[in-house]
Amino acid sequence: MSRERILRELAILEEGGQLAELFSNGGDFVVYRAVPTAGARFNLPETTDVIVPVPPGYPGSNIDLAGLPVGSPLLQRVKGGTNSQGIRDVAGVTWQLASYHPHANGGGPPWDQMQHGFHTYFDHLISWLENLGS
Amino acid sequence: MNKEQKIIVRIGSLEYEQLERLLFSRYPDKEWATFLRFGWRESSEALVFTSVGIDPPESGDVDERVGHVKILEPYTLRVALAAESHPFAIGVAHSHPEDYPPHPSGIDDDMDSYYSEYFVGFTHERPYLSLIVSKFDGQIVMSGRAFDKNRCKIVHRFIVERTPVQTWPKTGVGPSSMDHGRTARLTAAFGEEASARLRVATVAVIGAGGTGSMAIEVLARAGVGNLIIVDPDHITESNLERVHGSQPAHVAQGMPKVLIAREHALSINAECEIKAYLAALPQKEVVDAIVTADVAIGCTDQQHSRLALSDLCTRYLVPVIDCGVMLEGAEGAVTGQIIQLVRFLSADPCALCRDMIIPQRLAQELMSEGEKSARRAAAEKAIMRGEDPDPYWQGVPQLNTVGYLTGAAGALAAAYAIGWISGRFDPPFARLQMNIVEKCFDVQEVVMSAKHQCACSRVRGWADQGAADAFISPPPHWPPAKILA
Repeated sequence: MSRERILRELAILEEGGQLAELFSNGGDFVVYRAVPTAGARFNLPETTDVIVPVPPGYPGSNIDLAGLPVGSPLLQRVKGGTNSQGIRDVAGVTWQLASYHPHANGGGPPWDQMQHGFHTYFDHLISWLENLGS
Repeated sequence: MNKEQKIIVRIGSLEYEQLERLLFSRYPDKEWATFLRFGWRESSEALVFTSVGIDPPESGDVDERVGHVKILEPYTLRVALAAESHPFAIGVAHSHPEDYPPHPSGIDDDMDSYYSEYFVGFTHERPYLSLIVSKFDGQIVMSGRAFDKNRCKIVHRFIVERTPVQTWPKTGVGPSSMDHGRTARLTAAFGEEASARLRVATVAVIGAGGTGSMAIEVLARAGVGNLIIVDPDHITESNLERVHGSQPAHVAQGMPKVLIAREHALSINAECEIKAYLAALPQKEVVDAIVTADVAIGCTDQQHSRLALSDLCTRYLVPVIDCGVMLEGAEGAVTGQIIQLVRFLSADPCALCRDMIIPQRLAQELMSEGEKSARRAAAEKAIMRGEDPDPYWQGVPQLNTVGYLTGAAGALAAAYAIGWISGRFDPPFARLQMNIVEKCFDVQEVVMSAKHQCACSRVRGWADQGAADAFISPPPHWPPAKILA
């Protein structure tokens, strides 16, 4: 993991008012805090914390997946939310990873480490949490 | 800290050209000076400095009325204040008149004593580097002192981009007990100086398979004094067709490829100092070793190694010759037998800019076996659901190769390493591909430029201070690096 790079990317997010933190326990993860959702339309939470694993060899590998706290009602509505990719305990929360792959034929551009990072992945999370189905 | 810590200074060709122009601007009788910026990396064995750029003097910054160097306070203060907004070490370089050795004078001692304390107020824990350059006996000769953690350390070795330069005090090359008859033809072709350079040189070879084992053999036979060999794999039966020095008994023992390479090289040249790493790039121990090498040769078909070597060239100014081979065709019909040789010098575009990296293949290389299995299973389930399996796993074809092709590629790569170290010849290409079953080999030069969004042209020489722009990091699931010799 390139800690320096990730911290720089998270600092970019913070400059824009979005808090995200790097955790290292049993793997490396970024937790985005209070990410806005389209939940209000469905009487669901309007914000949620989101976890994203740091891929091995980062930034050599593309960022992939996204997770929500186990039991989050949003999991039933987000893309890939019912196709669990694993459970992780990080930062005192148990998370369920969803099958969300924006940089691997999943709707986003192919991974390009020159342009993409945890700061740009936030845009995909916004999109993910905006499209909660009908 | 190890008392034997070596101090190595690497200077990129762009900075060196500017440095020479500045420092010899009042030659042959009068001196001149400039400040520089250096990145650095420290391990228990070495403190390696890499040039980032030059802060040249402006009019009135250095006293032109005297023959020796007298840097005036506004220049010093400007450089010190600038250091508060960049992460690099400050260096000063000055010339001595022609045929005066670059031995520090009393005035130089006073200057370094003053600067090493003065700059700490602005740079805190960063080292300070002082260099002296002169033309002596018709040669460029450099000396240097690093001031780090309240200690003064003598520079052991200067490397200007791809060629080592004479370091003062001249360490010389002692007589070798190696059979000089063996290298007589090479010495006759390129001169005693070239042979002497090879005897003190360090070449890192990444990959000890088909190409690497041949490169190692050529280097050992040429009398290269120090080899760093890196490979994480053990020999298998299918390697016997390509790996020089390998024998069926090694397969039965499951011997690491690096040990086979080490034994083979020592059987050729017993004087060669060899460090064998059962490891892969960019593991820390391997990076620590390679940044001390004069040249690195990439002999692996692994995307992560290629990308990491490109990063080492960009940030640590390590010159790299990367080689690879490929068989084209299918079902027994071979239509192409390709050799690729790629030059990475600090001003060259990186492997990403040259589209040499296939992201999907790279990502798969970096996954743990557990993750690969899980993704393959998820892909199969996606197919059963009638969905696209690619987000989970994409099949990547195995690259096939043969020993004569890897041997040729490895020998050519070693040849260019010898050319660089000896200063006798350069690869006449940036990236060459040839097909040995086409007329005149269908030689192609692939020229590409750095992409504007890539960091490679910005972080040249930044060393550890450019860690945030590293192209790749070692996955946590890799086994720890082992130094086997």
